[in-house]
Amino acid sequence: MSHYYKELKSEWEKRAPNLARCGQLLDVLKLELVRVGFASPQEALQPKSQQQMVMSRDMLEIAVEHSITVKDYAAFERYMAQLNMYYYDYDKYLQASSQMYKFLGLNLLYMLAHNRIADFHIELERLPSALLLENPFIQPVLALENYYMEGRYNKILQAKRSMPSAIYASFMDMLVNTARDEIASCMEKSYDKMSPKQAALRLGLKPGGADVAAIANKRSWPLDDQGNYNFIGLHTKPKEMVSAKEIAGNTLTYAHELEKIV
Amino acid sequence: MTNAADPIAHDVEMDVDPSPETLADEKKNQDIAAVQEIREQIRQIEKSVASKESRFILRVLRNLPNTRRKLDAVVFRNLAQSIYPTGADREAAIALMPVLEKDATELPDVTKKLAATKAPIAEVDAYFYLLLLVKLIDANDLKRAGTCADALMAKISIQNRRTLDLIGAKSYFYFSRVAELNNALEGIRAFLHARLRTATLRNDFEGQAVLINCLLRNYLHYSLYDQADKLVKKSVYPESASNNEWARFLYYLGRIKAAKLEYSDAHKHLVQALRKSPQHAAIGFRQTVQKLIIVVELLLGNIPERVVFRQAGLRQSLGPYFQLTQAVRLGNLKRFGDVVSQYGPKFQLDHTFTLIIRLRHNVIKTAIRSIGLSYSRISPQDIAKRLMLDSSEDAEFIVSKAIRDGVIEATLDPAQNYMRSKESTDIYSTREPQLAFHERISFCLNLHNQSVKAMRYPPKSYGKDLESAEERREREQQDLELAKEMAEDDEDGF
Repeated sequence: MSHYYKELKSEWEKRAPNLARCGQLLDVLKLELVRVGFASPQEALQPKSQQQMVMSRDMLEIAVEHSITVKDYAAFERYMAQLNMYYYDYDKYLQASSQMYKFLGLNLLYMLAHNRIADFHIELERLPSALLLENPFIQPVLALENYYMEGRYNKILQAKRSMPSAIYASFMDMLVNTARDEIASCMEKSYDKMSPKQAALRLGLKPGGADVAAIANKRSWPLDDQGNYNFIGLHTKPKEMVSAKEIAGNTLTYAHELEKIV
Repeated sequence: MTNAADPIAHDVEMDVDPSPETLADEKKNQDIAAVQEIREQIRQIEKSVASKESRFILRVLRNLPNTRRKLDAVVFRNLAQSIYPTGADREAAIALMPVLEKDATELPDVTKKLAATKAPIAEVDAYFYLLLLVKLIDANDLKRAGTCADALMAKISIQNRRTLDLIGAKSYFYFSRVAELNNALEGIRAFLHARLRTATLRNDFEGQAVLINCLLRNYLHYSLYDQADKLVKKSVYPESASNNEWARFLYYLGRIKAAKLEYSDAHKHLVQALRKSPQHAAIGFRQTVQKLIIVVELLLGNIPERVVFRQAGLRQSLGPYFQLTQAVRLGNLKRFGDVVSQYGPKFQLDHTFTLIIRLRHNVIKTAIRSIGLSYSRISPQDIAKRLMLDSSEDAEFIVSKAIRDGVIEATLDPAQNYMRSKESTDIYSTREPQLAFHERISFCLNLHNQSVKAMRYPPKSYGKDLESAEERREREQQDLELAKEMAEDDEDGF
């Protein structure tokens, strides 16, 4: 196993690693990992298997980075779940990984980018609260969530440059796209009309570029005579119908319950 | 709670300043009384097992908080003689007992007639160990308590007797408590799961209820909300569990839901937990629940009423939350930040810190709403100044989201750079009132149903018409006693 691991590690540390080869190596290593039974905690006290656990943890960390590079997000989730075991459950036996918070922050960002806010908060609960406001990897992600909930999407668009690690970039792109969608939907609700230049500015895109037009097309924003997007048409709410069935249902429930009481 | 009474009793003794002999005598008399009381309880347990009527055991267990105060090493030594015959069992029990105090007078050995000749039944055995365990926890002798708890669990696990269920349920609770005090909760999870499986298969409802609560507490201790949530989803909480266990369960449920952002569910569960908890005792539990309710209510966008903060016994501990509520109500971001940084460590202790961090955008929402109501036209720069934001762009984006989410009715004008408030629409032209009305009615009906379910009836009152006047008098007497015990139990059970 250690032979494959060394090869993987040296391959991954090259400037342009051979992704296909790494994938193959990972597959072999995963099989090996199953064979040693994921090193159950009872065995962990022996120095040899402890060394093995450190190795499998490092391997999983490389696997996570690999899955991001090849954009295999299902694999990312799987690896992250396995890695969490090493971070939270085996922490008594192992020395904490130097990259631990980087990956935990990455996982949080992944949840945020996929708009899984509930999972995001559940993950957050597991971290000690002192860390939340101080850790260089966790704090920026937490700030992003705050911006997202408050609606300061402009901050998200700007935040891409200030991320703590390069591998955060891929998820940041996803988050920025989600944020753009949100901005567009906010714009059509809150403005009457807007020039394409202004719209581009707010979306964080180049004025006159194809991207703005694409968004406008997708959301079918009409252009008026002066060349502005006109949102008034999108404002009118559909008239609400009074649903007779629902009211009847409610009333019957009340009657039923009242009968029980009297 | 139990400790509160002790210093007072102590003070009284000091005033009288009794001579050492009378003190020792008094102690001895108390011990004798305690021994007799517990012997009586053991007879009750035996009776209960013989007649397969679990309510006698229930009565004994209800008295546990009272019994707990009377236990000491002398009592245990004496009891062991009358419960266990001479031999390995007795030795094992004595090895676990707390050490005798130096000045304690031993009671005379029990007479031959009372001394045990054959091994006790499983229920009495378990009850004795339960008492021992409780005493060891009180005496803070955690090492022995751990051994004792393990021994107790070994005794219970090998039995399959329905009459043991109630004592077993109580034992699980203290077993888990010892593990918590020893900081070894992680290790007992598998055992608790195994017991839960067995309890479910054997329809041991009380055991199920206690075990699920222990497991939830176990998970939440390590902030494993995901696992806790899965446990709740995959298991059925027994309807017939006692009120106190229900209150605990609902509290844990509320915490899980709040972590998952399902605030209205969380609020519902927490309010029920508060309602099911004893009214006069269990201050600690009520404080904890009330704190969580306040935060969840704020997250829902409601402002808790002032009365909540004025309740006796809660007032002081709710102080920080009162400040927090005021900050949210005024929409004052600066004050909110101050409160969070000032009371941060306290909120962390209460497990509410992460929820409170989420409150920030509620504060902003409130602020924007009040701005929208008071200005017909305002520039983003001014809004930014009022919300203490970095730039007018921030303000514009926030307002834009607020408009989309329906917080305010307004439009933004990018060319002239201001926000113009719209005439607010007539709320009665929408379905809003109907929905609100429906929500309230269903809340009241639900409350009524829950209250009906929470009422308890004395057993076997259906044969009322068949009894003579004398029997009725006797029964009424019994009912009265039972009602009194139930009331006491509710207060002591926590």
